[in-house]
Amino acid sequence: MVMLAETTDIQDRSIRAARVTQGLALALAVAGLASIGSGATGVSLFDMLDGLSAREALILWDIRLPRLAMGALVGAALAVSGALMQGLFRNPLADPGIVGVGAGAGLGAVLAIVLGGLLPATLGAWIGPQLVPFAAFLGGWAATIALYRLASRGGSVSVATMLLAGIALGALAGAVTGVLVYMADDRQLRDLTFWGMGSLAGASWAKIAASLPLIVPVLALSPLLARGLNALALGEAQARHIGIDTERLKRITILGVAASAGASVAIAGGIGFIGIVVPHLLRLATGPDHRFLLPNAALLGASLLVLADIFARTLLAPAELPIGIVTALVGAPVFLWILLQRRGIGGL
Amino acid sequence: MLEIGDLCVALAGRQVLHSISLTAQQGQITAIVGPNGSGKTTLLRAMTGDAPFHGHARLNGLDVAQAKLWQLATIRAVLAQATQLAFPFTVTEVVRLGLQSSEVDAQTDLPARALAMVGLASYGNRAFQDLSGGEQQRAHLARVLLQVWQPVGPNGPRWLFLDEPVSSLDIGHQLMVMGIARRFADAGGGVVAVMHDLNLTAMFADQMALLHNGRLAAMGSPHQVMTDGTLSTAYGCPVRVNAAPDHGPWLVPQAMPA
Amino acid sequence: MIRPSLASLHLGLIAGLGVAALATFALADTPKPRVVSLGGSVTETIVALGAEDLLVGRDSTSNYPESVLALPDVGYIRALSPEGVLSLTPDLILSEDGAGPVEAVAVLQAGGIPFVTMPGSFSAQGVLDKITSVAAALNLEAEGAALADKTAAGFAAAAARADAVTAPQSVLFVISLQGGRVMAGGEGSSAAGIIALGGGVNAVSGFDGYKQITDEAVIAAAPDVILMMDRGGDLALSAEDVQATPALAATPAAKAGRIIRMDGMLLLGFGPRTPDAALALNAALYGG
Repeated sequence: MVMLAETTDIQDRSIRAARVTQGLALALAVAGLASIGSGATGVSLFDMLDGLSAREALILWDIRLPRLAMGALVGAALAVSGALMQGLFRNPLADPGIVGVGAGAGLGAVLAIVLGGLLPATLGAWIGPQLVPFAAFLGGWAATIALYRLASRGGSVSVATMLLAGIALGALAGAVTGVLVYMADDRQLRDLTFWGMGSLAGASWAKIAASLPLIVPVLALSPLLARGLNALALGEAQARHIGIDTERLKRITILGVAASAGASVAIAGGIGFIGIVVPHLLRLATGPDHRFLLPNAALLGASLLVLADIFARTLLAPAELPIGIVTALVGAPVFLWILLQRRGIGGL
Repeated sequence: MLEIGDLCVALAGRQVLHSISLTAQQGQITAIVGPNGSGKTTLLRAMTGDAPFHGHARLNGLDVAQAKLWQLATIRAVLAQATQLAFPFTVTEVVRLGLQSSEVDAQTDLPARALAMVGLASYGNRAFQDLSGGEQQRAHLARVLLQVWQPVGPNGPRWLFLDEPVSSLDIGHQLMVMGIARRFADAGGGVVAVMHDLNLTAMFADQMALLHNGRLAAMGSPHQVMTDGTLSTAYGCPVRVNAAPDHGPWLVPQAMPA
Repeated sequence: MIRPSLASLHLGLIAGLGVAALATFALADTPKPRVVSLGGSVTETIVALGAEDLLVGRDSTSNYPESVLALPDVGYIRALSPEGVLSLTPDLILSEDGAGPVEAVAVLQAGGIPFVTMPGSFSAQGVLDKITSVAAALNLEAEGAALADKTAAGFAAAAARADAVTAPQSVLFVISLQGGRVMAGGEGSSAAGIIALGGGVNAVSGFDGYKQITDEAVIAAAPDVILMMDRGGDLALSAEDVQATPALAATPAAKAGRIIRMDGMLLLGFGPRTPDAALALNAALYGG
């Protein structure tokens, strides 16, 4: 066997990861400025520098900044949730959909869109336009808890059972969704379609305030799970031998994903590929160590979604493209390219 | 000291181990031997807290069934049989997983030293999944050694639990790995190993437990346990100890220069 | 990235200024407001009021008359981009019911742009209310009254024709034939509205809006006439499609070859052209 050339030093990999972190932080800052400085009205950063007119203030504070904040939050939450799920399921193709967040949130949204009109008038008036995000979050959360219960036996959670139960629950949610789609009228069908494609057009400070407490703690605390997830790569028994409380790790990870991914899906609809492509790219760049992977995924996910949103809202201006279409159009080919690369080097 | 008393294990309703009692001392290598399906690995899993059991198991006085995982992790490390690694970690990254957090900052050259011990000194930056089966097994041993780097810690002796540690190794590396276990025991640690190779067991073990149908068939030094009658009964075939074959080349590790 | 939005902004300006010469005199003493119209029927009403030159933007459902297609398209009425609408610097937004998302509408209102939602139901009165409301929002009360009178006269003529019908035909409106399954217009749908105005009877009932119905329900409905749209992209259906669908082919309508195809926006738009649509449908059903 030929000795492989030692191209990277292990110290190198952590140094490189730190450099990547700095680079990504810079990229997010640049993407943020670009996001603030572009839009259908053509108001640029320079226009805003010399004092804000009332119109510019409206564009900055009520349109572009909430979109930037929501895009960054949702992108970071989706990427970190993806990385967490992949670590937990020891599978680079896992995403929050696996624990039922996607199917549950989708069902919740469909229920709200199709049957929202049946709510008692007082309740309907109180919750009003926030019914769909609220129902989507509840649906995602309920599905996750149900799956977790199904897969728990004697205090331990079978990841394999959870995977299979997730498929079954997804099929069930799909069937119920089908019934509701059948009941839906023309306009509700279009609402469903648009919800499924994701959008940040409904960005508002209220939505950000509602999702912030669900997303930011997960982003901030996820590095605490890094050592456990690294150990889990060896297998559950081996992780326990190293001293990792794997049951606690699974519980916290799943709840964290349900909270952060559930909140993102609720406020932005279905946005694909961020959760799979971002961790994948980072593993290729700096390795699978979750200590670097999780914070870098937050930064890269945020940058990419902010960037995608700039395209979504300027490409067809004054109309806009659903952002899920942008991420899928860019994400799917990148994903295929990654798969081909992997095949080329014999599979990582 | 490892004390096992009246230990019974049932898996999926079937009694796998029947009332096993034994003790293993620090400073010694204790081998668990027996035919396939006799319950060797199950016994090891009960000792390490992986399999639920009735009876008692105490490691340095700590109740294995009640102890916290992190408590156990500071006094014993476990080398499992087959381990499937999920992501493209490098060899050093895998070995570093054995570091307990308190030691991380102290000695950064430990992973390299552990790798050198198992003969993988220059392998640190290779992708773990590119290693051969035997190399992976040794790299995992390096990780396990890192976890209990000092054979004696502040809370008494540390322990190595090895499940068939030489199963995919050539004879040279078999001797290397058993030598590592020997030195760990000589330095005051305890070693419990599930073994298939009776020659290596005879050569390295201080005492051995022979399992047969989930019961402890014999316990004692290799001299006491390895008799024609005891082994023939347990393994279900005629076994002759210390008898040279009539023809053909033969080889035992005992004959190798140290 | 900024370029497309600037380009469309210019497009909006040119579209607005290019037709300025035709401005109606009623607005002579009013500053000429820039209007974004959301919803095909609202747009048609604005144009019918002679105020097309005020339009600086439209939504994706506004496609009649063809001249409005030159206006910047702000997208689907339920998925508006707030900054996209804002980029057209409108002074007034006139909308059908249900524009969204609510956050986008809220931002536009926060920007001080009047966002006026027009009433509307799939009936003659709904069309007249819409005309009156659009005219009021544009300060074109006189034009509004004239258009409302003209439209009401049209409805009266259609109603007279409808009342004269002695043997009403049952009409099945088929909006799509996805995978051979029939999606039909039920109670309260725009199709049911126009069928009634045209003097027909909706062949199916018991469900609201547009739904897929089973083959047996199609056969049980036994329509005398099948009504479809002949335009509207993928929604266009042909007589061959009907004959190729077993359940539809078995109906009296298909056997007699009584398949009527009409322009979708004319038929279902519920704007100023609806009396024409009702008369045309009546003529197709009963001759004359």
